[in-house]
Amino acid sequence: MNVRRFFAGMVILTFCSSAFAQLGTKKKRPLPYEYGRVVIRNYSDKETAPVVFEHWIHRAKYTCRVCHVDVGFAMKAGATGITAADNAKGYYCGACHNGKSGNDGKIVFPACSKTGSADDTRKCERCHSAGKNVKSDHDFAQFSGPLPKERFGNGIDWEKSEQLGLIKPARYLEGVSARGSALVVQKDFDLNPKVEGMPDIIFSHKKHTVWNGCELCHPDIFMGVKKGTSHYSMVDISEGKSCGACHTTVAFPLTDCQRCHAKSVSL
Amino acid sequence: MRWARAIVMALILCGGLAWLQCGQVVGQTNSNTSTSLGAAGDERWQKEFDELCSRTQDAMSYSQEQLAALVQRCDALMPQLEKLDETRKKVYLKRLKTCRGLYAYVLESKKSEKN
Repeated sequence: MNVRRFFAGMVILTFCSSAFAQLGTKKKRPLPYEYGRVVIRNYSDKETAPVVFEHWIHRAKYTCRVCHVDVGFAMKAGATGITAADNAKGYYCGACHNGKSGNDGKIVFPACSKTGSADDTRKCERCHSAGKNVKSDHDFAQFSGPLPKERFGNGIDWEKSEQLGLIKPARYLEGVSARGSALVVQKDFDLNPKVEGMPDIIFSHKKHTVWNGCELCHPDIFMGVKKGTSHYSMVDISEGKSCGACHTTVAFPLTDCQRCHAKSVSL
Repeated sequence: MRWARAIVMALILCGGLAWLQCGQVVGQTNSNTSTSLGAAGDERWQKEFDELCSRTQDAMSYSQEQLAALVQRCDALMPQLEKLDETRKKVYLKRLKTCRGLYAYVLESKKSEKN
């Protein structure tokens, strides 16, 4: 009897553990205000919490290129290796967070200097806020309220927001960006998904180059030089390769299929 | 005779002191020059960097020769950036590699178009 009970218990336990393991692997869909959030824990310690970086407030003010090309932030969280010393010298976060630069008629708060005063601790906690209850200067609901809506990601149609002039992301950062001539607008093109009945992808090269420039994507993210020779799979994309470098993290997510598979299918 | 010897000795001593003073001044001048040369060097790499990385948006319009020359110039600038302090080295090397990468990429795509 005891042996039977033991085996029955083992069977139940095995099924339950595999079911819980399945639950554990399921990724929680971030809420609109959490989408694009990056937690940077390079040099955080017991005293200094990891940095919580919100993409939504920054992308409303600057194009992707300004930060990821001109300022030099890597495309993967933690890969830049930002230090307080770098910021203090006016690089990375310190390029804007220096207590001198202005935005929307306000002076951007400076990055923390770590001198240990109570004022500094408060200053540091504006960014080093992971696991802390820190009130942000920017309220997502208030910010996103007047912007056109989308179903996924931040719930904001960023492209339309810019078209309507509700956001004006800067393409140049004084003292940081290398001033060049205006970007030649690239033509949009179709990509055939090779799946029966699946609408073609209309790749907005124009939109991507206006926000990213050329060098943010080529060659690091898209390295194929001959058109039609590179193959992209949804599995690779969902793992963060090619389109997934941005469309799994910051730009509208892969669940918004129709944003890319946009060409109507002729029946 | 003794007076004459004393005068000669004093003159040699003064000459020596003057020479030493002179050396110090020259040394100072040299160190000043080297500082200003450092600043000029700083300006030179920055100018070259800006020149190279402000052209990325025009990459598609360049000929293969122009692109190859830009790649070469990027390669030539890299050793100078390696000598910068840790922060600037990290920032500018990454930025330069990004610019170089694009020129090399466009060059390759132009070559493959021809083939």
